[in-house]
Amino acid sequence: MTVGINAFLLVAGWLFAIGLLGVLLRKNTLVIYMSLELMLNAVNLALVAFSRYNNTMDGNLFVFFIITVAAAEVAVGLAIIVALYRRRQTVLVNELNSLSR
Amino acid sequence: MNEILAEFLRGYTATNQWLAILPEILLALLALSLLAVEMASPKAARAQVGRVAFYGQLFILAVCLIGCFTGPATTGAEPLFSGMIEQSGTTQFMRVFFLLCSLFVSYLGGIYLERQPLARTEFHHLVLLVAAGMMLLVQSAHFVMLFVALETVTVAFYVLVAYGRNSVGSLEAGLKYLIMGALSSAILLFGIVLLYGVAGNPALAASSSDSLQYSALAEFISLHDGNLLVRLGALLVVAGICFKIGAVPFQIWVPDVYQGAPTPVTSFLAVASKAAGFVVLLQLVQGPFAGLGALLVPVLSIVAAVTILFGNCAAVVQGNLKRLMGLSGIAHAGYLLLGVIAVASGVAWAEGAVLFYLFTYLLGSFAVFAVMTFAAGTDDTDQQISHYQDFAKEQPFLGGVLAIGLGSLAGIPPLGGFIGKLFLFIAAFQAGLYGLLGVAILGVVISIYYYFGWIREAFFSHYNETVPTKTAILPSMRDRLLLGFLAAASLLLGLYPAALSLLP
Repeated sequence: MTVGINAFLLVAGWLFAIGLLGVLLRKNTLVIYMSLELMLNAVNLALVAFSRYNNTMDGNLFVFFIITVAAAEVAVGLAIIVALYRRRQTVLVNELNSLSR
Repeated sequence: MNEILAEFLRGYTATNQWLAILPEILLALLALSLLAVEMASPKAARAQVGRVAFYGQLFILAVCLIGCFTGPATTGAEPLFSGMIEQSGTTQFMRVFFLLCSLFVSYLGGIYLERQPLARTEFHHLVLLVAAGMMLLVQSAHFVMLFVALETVTVAFYVLVAYGRNSVGSLEAGLKYLIMGALSSAILLFGIVLLYGVAGNPALAASSSDSLQYSALAEFISLHDGNLLVRLGALLVVAGICFKIGAVPFQIWVPDVYQGAPTPVTSFLAVASKAAGFVVLLQLVQGPFAGLGALLVPVLSIVAAVTILFGNCAAVVQGNLKRLMGLSGIAHAGYLLLGVIAVASGVAWAEGAVLFYLFTYLLGSFAVFAVMTFAAGTDDTDQQISHYQDFAKEQPFLGGVLAIGLGSLAGIPPLGGFIGKLFLFIAAFQAGLYGLLGVAILGVVISIYYYFGWIREAFFSHYNETVPTKTAILPSMRDRLLLGFLAAASLLLGLYPAALSLLP
């Protein structure tokens, strides 16, 4: 039995949905960050699956760009989180409310 | 061996297209050389870095303008780098637009950094990189190129927004922008992947092996405009871009980020980032998504109507000026969406109207943000309307520039903003968007109320006898020249709109 493309897309869709809900619902910045990475990895999975079933290499190539960009984003993001933690002693989004007043 | 090498080199020179992106390469080199200048020069001379950045950008602007006028005919889109980049009259105009933006931001950044104990070089470095990234972004004709350019811009913006490391507000704004920006990138990417997968499916008609390329995608979508994956993918891509332009329901980040970011960065976000988003949206609507008008026009119409109403109504009760600029910026995004919808429903000249509006928005916004930079105290996030009491009496020049900038944003007749709005509304009228037009005009009426509240505070507020503490810096001769240029250009475009030949 071979696994069809729909199975891959279903898993990718689930991962994306879990990530999206994590970003919207969780309070801890680091968990939000992990959820964002999960969304990007869902995209990567779908890309590789499409690339395999369509017999084109563009998808595989795109994955490398996404991984690189995600690494850059994490580097900047963690730096901002650390700088913020030093000032506020918290990384919970519901306590980060010095603006909007 | 030598023949093979010669053959290779001949092939290389025949396909050598690097000169086409000369301004971007020069910007990146200038950005790197700033770091070198900082390392090589003694500590006392480091203030020179801002000057190097400013004059370097002036030089690149000249190169870009010469390229515009003497380069190859810019009538049709011209594919370069095997279809990764396409240059047209629109992209040439936007390159000059982004260079102007980065020039103003560098200049205002210099003024901001004088008052803050922060590193200078990195600020200018990042501004240059963002400008180069945006210039590539609007030229991209391939989704990989689009994504990489977009992320170059966005990651650099994360750092710029959080640049005020000594202020909690700036760091918080940086974190919020980071989360929202990464979320929007992921949504955009998922849409791209769906389009890539369905358009590359060999079982479907007109499928392409290069299904990330705009033109290949356009051909496919025009045949399969009812396909569920195509529709979902296109909606997700548009949603990702709506995050960048701050359209409802993806506008939640705008007020907080605009308030927390350093004022020059706020102006950069408000003008350049929004303009980049709109030009990408225009290109998508005219290119790959041209066959999806029946889906996109109703969706974008609802988004535009809600965006205009939300932005204006929320701005009315806002006392913090940076949040006010953010919320009114949301409303401006709504007016600009009118032009995009007109393009999507077949009024081709509306593209020129959008570009014209963006240019008047640049002039008006930078005039206002420049005055805000001069008038701000040491706490950059705290700029209230009440701080502008008696402002025009103490600083008549800045007050005048503020009035012209705000008047242009509100769309008062002799100024550029009025003509920009007029063109957009005529385009919407020709496209038959009467309901939307009514909402937009209502929005403009509301916006006059809060813009003039600010002007009234600056000019006619004599009810309090105690003079507030003076924090505004007096502008030097060079500052006056720059501000005067912004105000005069706003006035010129209002009186003589043909100065910018964007409309046929």
